[in-house]
Amino acid sequence: MQCGWPLLGPLQWIRYVNKQVTVKVGKDEEHRGWLLTVDPVSASLVLVDFREDGGTSVQVVMGHAVEEVQVLQEADEETADRLRTSFMSLRTCSLDPEELRMRRRGVRSWLEKNRVPVEEEGDELRVAGVLTIRAPYGPEDCFSSNQTVLDRVQRLIQTKPDRPGPRPETDPDPTRPSWTDP
Amino acid sequence: NGVERLNMATPVSVLRLPKGPDPNSRGFDPKSPRFIALCRTSISTSAASEVDSAELQREQHARSVLRETFLRCLLSMTNKKVQFHMYEKVKVEATFGASDIDVLNFQVSDLHTPIGVQKEALIRSQDVISFTFDV
Repeated sequence: MQCGWPLLGPLQWIRYVNKQVTVKVGKDEEHRGWLLTVDPVSASLVLVDFREDGGTSVQVVMGHAVEEVQVLQEADEETADRLRTSFMSLRTCSLDPEELRMRRRGVRSWLEKNRVPVEEEGDELRVAGVLTIRAPYGPEDCFSSNQTVLDRVQRLIQTKPDRPGPRPETDPDPTRPSWTDP
Repeated sequence: NGVERLNMATPVSVLRLPKGPDPNSRGFDPKSPRFIALCRTSISTSAASEVDSAELQREQHARSVLRETFLRCLLSMTNKKVQFHMYEKVKVEATFGASDIDVLNFQVSDLHTPIGVQKEALIRSQDVISFTFDV
């Protein structure tokens, strides 16, 4: 038995954004959180929960499973800000400009050592005119429509000596030992 | 003691379920009444918008804001561990890959099931109640 939630439409759904809601699904199941968005294609709700330990967990409730949605309260400015910034930037780069510059130079010289044509373009590195590397210049910061070049450059950067320690959520191989080069 | 417990993380070979009715054997026939009822691939504009173009514009703007935020959310899930909460009290964990455009199927890797780990799998969104992950 489905309620009318998926039929409300974007103009109604958007009114629930930035509000704390409880969502009833199935029998006797409830999810609570700050509503970040409603997908207009599937009517799914995205709920954000700011945990006490400082972490943020997100729950997506499928539109087809929704029985009831109730608004509890409106977000204050601080919460609304937190909601806005949690996903807006895909990757936040929290390094200072000097550190970034050093990293960029490090990656650039490593590529040059491996005879890969690379140029600096502002904060980005441009490789062979087909690939862009953005801060902080890790393998996952490479962008290109050329799969071969992308693959090669990603591998190269991955094997660059003196690479800082793995980032848990993005490093593809956290078991790779890091080794320093004198 | 050298006996190892049967490890839940042991990969299992892909299960091939029996073929369903033609023409599409892996799920619903897109022309069947069931598919049409359950797997709506788009939600049309409201009746009010069809008469009033200012209303339509507002609706489309809301639609795109909502969708963009949702897509960014999906993007942030890539390669993260996600817990799927499904019907019949089924809870499974997997690494999120991608969703299709209509949010009908989720592509995941390393799906932990009670019979072992499926290296790659597609999860039908119709079977999912909710899923959760840590940012």
